[in-house]
Amino acid sequence: MAEDMEQRYAERLSRYVTAMRNGKPDRIPIRPFVAEFTAKYAGYTCQEVAHDYEKAFAAARKCAADFDWDAVVGNMVYVWTGLTQAIGMKYYAVPGIDLPADIGFQYCEPPEEKAFMKPDEYDQLIEDPTGFLFNVWLPRVSTDVGAMGGPTSYRNNLSFLKGGMAMQGYFNAFGKQNELLRSESGTVSAISGILKAPFDILADKLRGYIGLTMDLFERPEKVLAACEALMPHLTHVALSGADPEKNVPIGLWMHRGCVPFVSRKHFENLYWPTLKPIIEEIWSHGHQVLFYAEGNWDAHLESFTELPDASIVYHVDMGDIFHVHKVLGQKFCISGGIPNFLLSYGTEDQVRDCCRKVIAGVARDGGYIMDAGAIIQNDARIENVRAMTEFTREHGVY
Amino acid sequence: MPEKGKPKPKPGVCIPWEQKAKELARISGDEQLVRKVWEDIDALAYAYIWQCLLSF
Repeated sequence: MAEDMEQRYAERLSRYVTAMRNGKPDRIPIRPFVAEFTAKYAGYTCQEVAHDYEKAFAAARKCAADFDWDAVVGNMVYVWTGLTQAIGMKYYAVPGIDLPADIGFQYCEPPEEKAFMKPDEYDQLIEDPTGFLFNVWLPRVSTDVGAMGGPTSYRNNLSFLKGGMAMQGYFNAFGKQNELLRSESGTVSAISGILKAPFDILADKLRGYIGLTMDLFERPEKVLAACEALMPHLTHVALSGADPEKNVPIGLWMHRGCVPFVSRKHFENLYWPTLKPIIEEIWSHGHQVLFYAEGNWDAHLESFTELPDASIVYHVDMGDIFHVHKVLGQKFCISGGIPNFLLSYGTEDQVRDCCRKVIAGVARDGGYIMDAGAIIQNDARIENVRAMTEFTREHGVY
Repeated sequence: MPEKGKPKPKPGVCIPWEQKAKELARISGDEQLVRKVWEDIDALAYAYIWQCLLSF
């Protein structure tokens, strides 16, 4: 590895980690969570980066090198549709098959009456979450996996064989991707490991949002018990994928557990009490969690102040980043806050003006990482992402 | 972590070693070796299903 590239990597890692610990590095780290944007920049279709992860890896590396970013996610096009198609997963619209090739993949939540978990199945999930997922959930979400008690099949067996081997190969490939990011452009791999709140798991993949909101009124004790049953498993999975060096955080993807998706009471009595202990447990092992607070979580900032100092990096999407900084800035690093609609529809001057305000408002004392509010897809204009990058590099020096 | 709602089996486990051990004849060699490898591979299956849920 070239000495200068290794030195660049060391500088970037120090910059990124210092900011995440709410310190003041040499300058503001630039860490865009670029997804289908990488395809647009590198000359691939959305189909190519979703279905062939080597192309997604190459596109991410090209962006990291050309834009000279401090950190990126190895592949932010988070669903490898090649694998989901191979195992017969029903719930994705795949670019180039179900969608035009230049539209990003989409999760298709089933209607309430076809939710992947029925309202009378809470006890099964609570008793044995892993068993429920294998025996009930997976057969429902896959066209190939047979239901328990039914006849086995060639397609059923192949689904597990393909899925297992393909998944292992894919996750192992991230090791090489991280090494290439480091050696080719001195870029840090931004996150390691994955976490979702138990409440979001129920809403996203099991009961569906509508079904869960009904459950909150019809069987709230079951919802709480299910969240509690999921907690140790989600903690275990998060820790199993965490950075062994304890530099970069575990990514927590926060979805519909906030007001107005649910009531404040439901957040305070269900969502937060079944997520907070997970964060605390993870922090006790020395790992930060990136609170990727999609949407607007400003109604709950006071709850987040209950967490230990520096235990999270708080990412701002549609929230008021200046208010977030006021409430959380003393305790946690903040990232994001540049609206995606600005990157897509604004002018370069408007992007620079927004970056100027955010930097002046929340980054003066360190503890800030430049990024858009949400993952950057192929509707973002390249010149706007470049403007965000170059402005920060020029004006984000401490 | 609260004790109530503690799942069975534990995180990271699909088929506990204790269950598998009952199916085996007397282990004349290194039982800890057999157990460790069983648990390591069992954990891969656990990871598969939970990653399907979380990452795909």
